[in-house]
Amino acid sequence: MSIEDNKKKHGKTLYADAWSSIRRDKLSMASLVVIVFFMLTALYGTCIYWRYNIIDAESPQMLKPLKVVVEKVLMADRVKGQVAPYQRQDLDNRYMSPSVSHVMGTDSLGRDVFQRLVQGSRIAFQVGVITSLIAIPIAVLLGCIAGYFGGWVDDVIVWLYSTFACMPTLLFIISISMVIGKGLTGVYIGIGFTTWVHLCRLIRGEVMKRKDQTYVRAAQVLGYSHARIIFRHILPNIMHIIIINFSLRFPSAIQTEVILSFLGIGAQSEPSWGLMINSARFRLWYGVWWELTFTTLAILAIVLAFNLLGDALRDALDPRLREVER
Amino acid sequence: MKRNNNAFASPTTVGLFSLLSMVLFCLSGCGHNDGSVMAENEMVYSGVTTRIRGFDPVKAGDVSSAMAISKIYEGLVQYSYLERPYKVIPNLAESMPDISEDGLVYTFKIRNGLFFQDDPCFGKSNGKGRELTAEDFVYSIKRVADVKNQSTGYWVYNNRIVGLDDFRDKSKDPESTDYDSIVEGLTALDRYTLQIRLVAPYPQLLWVLTMHYGYAVPREAVSHYGGEFLNNPVGTGPFVLEDWVRNYCVKFVRNPKWSESGRIELYPSVGEEKDRASGLLDDAGKAVPIIDRIVQYVISDPSTQWLKFVTGGLESSAISRDNWDAVISPGGGLTESLKKRGIRLNKQPSLNVFYVGFNMNDPVVGMSENKAKDLGHKKLRQALTCAFNSETWIKFWNGRIIRAKGPIPPGVAGFKDEPAQYPYDLDKATKLLAEAGYPDGVSAETGKRLRLTVELGSADPQTREAIDLMSSFFREIGVLLEASYNNWPTFLQKMERRQCQLYRLGWIADYPDAENFLQLFYGPNSSPGPNHSNYESPEIDKLYEMIRTMNDTHERTAIYRKMADIVEEDAPWIFTDHPMSFGLHHSWVKNYKHHDFPYGMTKYRKLDLVMREEWQRNYGKKHWRE
Repeated sequence: MSIEDNKKKHGKTLYADAWSSIRRDKLSMASLVVIVFFMLTALYGTCIYWRYNIIDAESPQMLKPLKVVVEKVLMADRVKGQVAPYQRQDLDNRYMSPSVSHVMGTDSLGRDVFQRLVQGSRIAFQVGVITSLIAIPIAVLLGCIAGYFGGWVDDVIVWLYSTFACMPTLLFIISISMVIGKGLTGVYIGIGFTTWVHLCRLIRGEVMKRKDQTYVRAAQVLGYSHARIIFRHILPNIMHIIIINFSLRFPSAIQTEVILSFLGIGAQSEPSWGLMINSARFRLWYGVWWELTFTTLAILAIVLAFNLLGDALRDALDPRLREVER
Repeated sequence: MKRNNNAFASPTTVGLFSLLSMVLFCLSGCGHNDGSVMAENEMVYSGVTTRIRGFDPVKAGDVSSAMAISKIYEGLVQYSYLERPYKVIPNLAESMPDISEDGLVYTFKIRNGLFFQDDPCFGKSNGKGRELTAEDFVYSIKRVADVKNQSTGYWVYNNRIVGLDDFRDKSKDPESTDYDSIVEGLTALDRYTLQIRLVAPYPQLLWVLTMHYGYAVPREAVSHYGGEFLNNPVGTGPFVLEDWVRNYCVKFVRNPKWSESGRIELYPSVGEEKDRASGLLDDAGKAVPIIDRIVQYVISDPSTQWLKFVTGGLESSAISRDNWDAVISPGGGLTESLKKRGIRLNKQPSLNVFYVGFNMNDPVVGMSENKAKDLGHKKLRQALTCAFNSETWIKFWNGRIIRAKGPIPPGVAGFKDEPAQYPYDLDKATKLLAEAGYPDGVSAETGKRLRLTVELGSADPQTREAIDLMSSFFREIGVLLEASYNNWPTFLQKMERRQCQLYRLGWIADYPDAENFLQLFYGPNSSPGPNHSNYESPEIDKLYEMIRTMNDTHERTAIYRKMADIVEEDAPWIFTDHPMSFGLHHSWVKNYKHHDFPYGMTKYRKLDLVMREEWQRNYGKKHWRE
């Protein structure tokens, strides 16, 4: 009987096991639904954004064909020259409370709060994904190398991440935005380069534990290259750490972006949640409650959902932790 | 001639819009019991202020600091509080100066028996304040000229007073400046006589001397405190500084030296016709200052300010944009609940202009050596002017601005009440834009959409909303406007280095003369001078040099108009608006009259304490919308 057959009949993989444990938990499922909902919202926001902006977007020669395809798909020429819904202003209908035409009311320029909230979730997801794409590869690469090789390589990497860990994140991001200018690029780079330390540390420790295990020894004896051993043998076994870390760092990246935009060094002209809260707070007590309420609820929902799911994932994916609890 | 940045440009431009929410006149202060022990029935005026940078008259460059300084220091002359049009009357001078026939020599007689406040810096007399003499003015004006002081105000004397420019050149030496060196045009003929000799006639000299660049500063204080002089003001004025916690609170108290030395200043007894009816002349002939103490807090959050005002904790308030509908009824008056409380609304046009400037050194929007290009860029600027939707802009500001058609605001000679040459007109804008080489906003040369960047000196939500609105105006003709939000110092630096493409700024008059606005287009005043657009036109330069020394005549007004026309045609600015000041006052605040140059006028203010107490009983604990 091959291992594959055995698996089918008797056991489940770690991930399948985790999935079933999450499915049993109502709270985790609810979190998942919220996250999927926000993901779809962000996707919808992205489509809207590019539909109105793709024609004027400047793209390098290489990406021209792609641009043409996207233009076609989004039917961008139909809305050429029109104002995107989240930017449409109507001063006669400002400060409108929620109604059928504006489900979440309008702001002080008569712009639809719902449409701006959608764009805000687009930005939030953009920040979460892009910063993860920067931070996770750095953390994984450095953590694996440090843990696997040890010695002076380890010393250098530990020194490097200790140095990064010493820097106050917010100040680091502010200084980056001073250099490359305010805007989302600065936020991506700032968050991306400051949040890899925690994951790197975890992975280093995990790799150190595993490098002396028999399957690694066996691979070494077989003469496989270090890269193959690290990335084909060890990494798949510690993947769950990365997944857990991802689900927990995502909401904190969103929070950081909101704070930075609130402070005026994040998003500049795009409707970020931080900017929306910053302008809405001045009118809250004049009775304009809808802007602040819906924006805050959106942030609360997504951050809470990610955190709950992250916890559930950790319970499901980290068996040792589970044993301790039981 | 080069002039430094205008004294009062900073706050205008800092807050841009937040200035509106501060509203100039309410800066003069108000306040409430702050917990410190005060005598029974003491008249305490509570107010708000923005950040005060210090109390050195030569260094102030913003309204709040200037207001604070004018409570402590005084000049030779001052504005008449009630008379309109604005008129200069003597203050520390005994009478108006003798002016020679040719307008070059001004002789001031200074009042005898005026003393500086008591201060440890007067060590020789055991801290007793010394008598004010003509030498103090010689010294004070030299201080403005001294390069080492980095005064914001040298432009007011630059190339005006005989020998002062040489003094300034000499002060560039690294060694300490010799204040005893003789400046020919600034002499104390005797203890109480000051003579100022001018290079050429300077019709605005008396206006300028009302500003804090002409206030008397005692030499002892400067040498005693050195760098700390900024925080230790020693003046002759109606109030002295009691306490100052930076960015939190400033307190002034009545200057005891006045009663000690028997100095008596009287409330004016001449004013406009309507002043008698409105009770502004009730106190005519009474001694000032009437209030005993002034307490001002730095409250940057408009909602906190408002709550403090409606509970009676502040004597006056501005109206923030978001609060508009709750305060002003659709008819333009106050809402019932505020009327019931006796709150009064003051609505006044004020002497200022807000604009979006183009940097004339910019390769896309600026001037060019190439004739065809130059014309194209001019058409682009005109197109953007035509695309500026002033009606919507006014609606955004809840109707508290007047559309600006040119550089000169209503209220000074030279203002034109005629339709603008480039009014809001999308067809015209599209046509001009096509002629400029951007049909529908897309460059005919490169096929790319025109993108412009506007630099802002603040990033508060109100500015952001205003710029979002403005970019929607330009989007109508296919031009994309991107915003670059800076803090105030970075913004200033960018303008001084000529790195802006577009920028938004305002200008508040220093004196009621359109010359003050037209100098913003004078070529030699380019950045770092106040001409931040770096606009140059031989014709404007020639005309400006003509009016610089001209007295107020019809001929001069005609030249003002002509200059405004040229500027409008060349469009170095999009003239956006002249804000009006809107302010609220409680019923117990007496003797308040709006003044565009309210420096030193807190001394006339009065409070009806009985009325305040009664109000507190009736409304102090009620919700303000009830």
